[in-house]
Amino acid sequence: MKFSRFASIVALTVATALPTIAVAADKPVVGLVMKSLANDFFKNMLEGAEAHAKKRGDYELKAIGMQNETDFESQLNGVENFITQGVDAIVIAPADSRAMVAPLKKAMDAGIVVVNFDVSLDEQAKKDAGIDLAFVGPDNRGGAKMVGDALAKDLGAGAKVVILEGNPGADNAAQRKLGFEDAIAAGKLDLLDSRTAHWETEEANAVFSTMLTAHPDIQGVLAANDSMAIGVVKALDAAGRNDIKVVGFDNVPAVAPMLKDGKLLATVDQFGSQMAANAIDKALEVVAGGPKLEGWVKTDIELVTKDNVK
Amino acid sequence: MQALEKTQVTETDDTRRLAGWSPKVLLRDAGIGLALLLLIVFFSVSTEHFLTPNNISNILTQITINLILAVGMTFVILIGGIDLSVGSMLAFCAVVGGTVLTIPDLSVFQAVALATLAAIGTGVVCGFLNGWISAFWGLPSFIVTLGMLNIARGAALQVTDARTIYSFPPSFNAFGSQMIFGVPVVFLIALVLVAIAWFVLSKTVFGRLLYGIGNNEEAVRLAGHSLMFYKVAAFTIAGALVGIAAMVYMARLNIASPIIGIGFELNAIAAVIIGGTSLNGGRGTVIGTLLGACITGVLANGLILFGLSDFMRQMITGVVIILAVIIDKYRERLTGV
Repeated sequence: MKFSRFASIVALTVATALPTIAVAADKPVVGLVMKSLANDFFKNMLEGAEAHAKKRGDYELKAIGMQNETDFESQLNGVENFITQGVDAIVIAPADSRAMVAPLKKAMDAGIVVVNFDVSLDEQAKKDAGIDLAFVGPDNRGGAKMVGDALAKDLGAGAKVVILEGNPGADNAAQRKLGFEDAIAAGKLDLLDSRTAHWETEEANAVFSTMLTAHPDIQGVLAANDSMAIGVVKALDAAGRNDIKVVGFDNVPAVAPMLKDGKLLATVDQFGSQMAANAIDKALEVVAGGPKLEGWVKTDIELVTKDNVK
Repeated sequence: MQALEKTQVTETDDTRRLAGWSPKVLLRDAGIGLALLLLIVFFSVSTEHFLTPNNISNILTQITINLILAVGMTFVILIGGIDLSVGSMLAFCAVVGGTVLTIPDLSVFQAVALATLAAIGTGVVCGFLNGWISAFWGLPSFIVTLGMLNIARGAALQVTDARTIYSFPPSFNAFGSQMIFGVPVVFLIALVLVAIAWFVLSKTVFGRLLYGIGNNEEAVRLAGHSLMFYKVAAFTIAGALVGIAAMVYMARLNIASPIIGIGFELNAIAAVIIGGTSLNGGRGTVIGTLLGACITGVLANGLILFGLSDFMRQMITGVVIILAVIIDKYRERLTGV
């Protein structure tokens, strides 16, 4: 009897003390859910976020990534773990723009501030789930249009071009393709062919070589990421064609020499390293009692050419 | 007694194979060659650019890496194994080789020689572990190499911190697109490897015993041979070839990234299977693998020229793989080889 009373007092003390400690001593916890950490783009993004956490010093960062771009199950598990841990905010680059809506709704129901960055969640899926969630991120379509415009300006109306697409089904791949098509329509270019090379250098090299055989009169190439643009540039080297202009997307370090010697006309920088950090800032504003985020908070994009490459 | 009988059966099988060009084996490879020829004729007639010197050298360049990986895979599949780790190992070998290649203050020759050693060495170590672990504990190579698939990928990411290595020596880069009489040099390297593999598999006791293990492991063991040695050797050879493929990759594309090669193991397996090698082991030739790699390469190229969509292209590749296995069933029944 005595023991159980003692136990209940202890339990009560602990129960009341713990939250006080948590609020008093701990900074808000931000759970960052990334896509694959196995490429430069997300790696830079994570490092940017870590540097940001250190610099601000007023929140705790917990980051998780996944094995590869399509492994959405580990994202799902990550979100659930963050809900269990009771983080204050979840900042997420969703692997699947539809499948991630349900777990995020669960997080919002648990009172967690959720901010979506990098890839936008599907509008219809959000509506179906009855949630309103802001998106902090770059305009992939706008970026693709921008770099496509640069190509169109260089080549002039009527020029024959081909597109190398990203993974079929990926939202950013679809957006970039739309942006390329916008630029092609605006610049009155002639689109000969459009094929996927699954974001891959080697596949882009093979697919583009074959496209060039089918259409030796290609004048320009729009690659949906720089990895594929690198494969295209190598194919042009091998074929001894220096008359064809190539544009890419992402501004990875490996394309800097190609921009400098003119093998790549232009690429787009989305400032990936700052993207997660920006989204975390927005989330912390809401955690601190700021107004709810709405709509699309667009982040910076910049056209990178030989004139401004670092 | 029964075991002894089996040994004898294996021996006669092998003796026939030892000749390399026994009528039945020749017939098998000729059948696959005929399929390749039909494809070539089809695309030559139906598309404008297929049968042009440029396109042919493109195809040869495009199949080179898969062919080198598939030659190694042939050794592994012949002993009844499978290697799922070659794609990841390619990335690991490439980033190790690429790191060596970009060491400052080395002459181009030194850098390339050391990088080649490092890349092949990395492949040999991974392949050795694949073979040794599966043979020592008697584990299915499917599982062991699935483990290696993750280990090698993780290692590649770890050593590079997930970053792409680039800016290799210009002359090394130029070598990747060098041609001799319109034939890519990298493809000639692959052909030499095919020739060596053909010799080893069909003209040496070592090769003959690899077939023997695929046909009847127990019989080979009872005949007093170390299964361990031959299994480890097959996987190690496959690993060494991955190292060579990694060097070719870097010469061709001038980058080494830890995320390259995803799914390459499946393309290599497809080439081996389309080339008529049995997944059960013990049957098949490296010439078949060469033809199989050509078929997948011709299809990938020809279907684009033909103007087929990416999705249709993927479906047709799948159909061809299944067809190859079905044809193999009939061929086995008809010829017994």
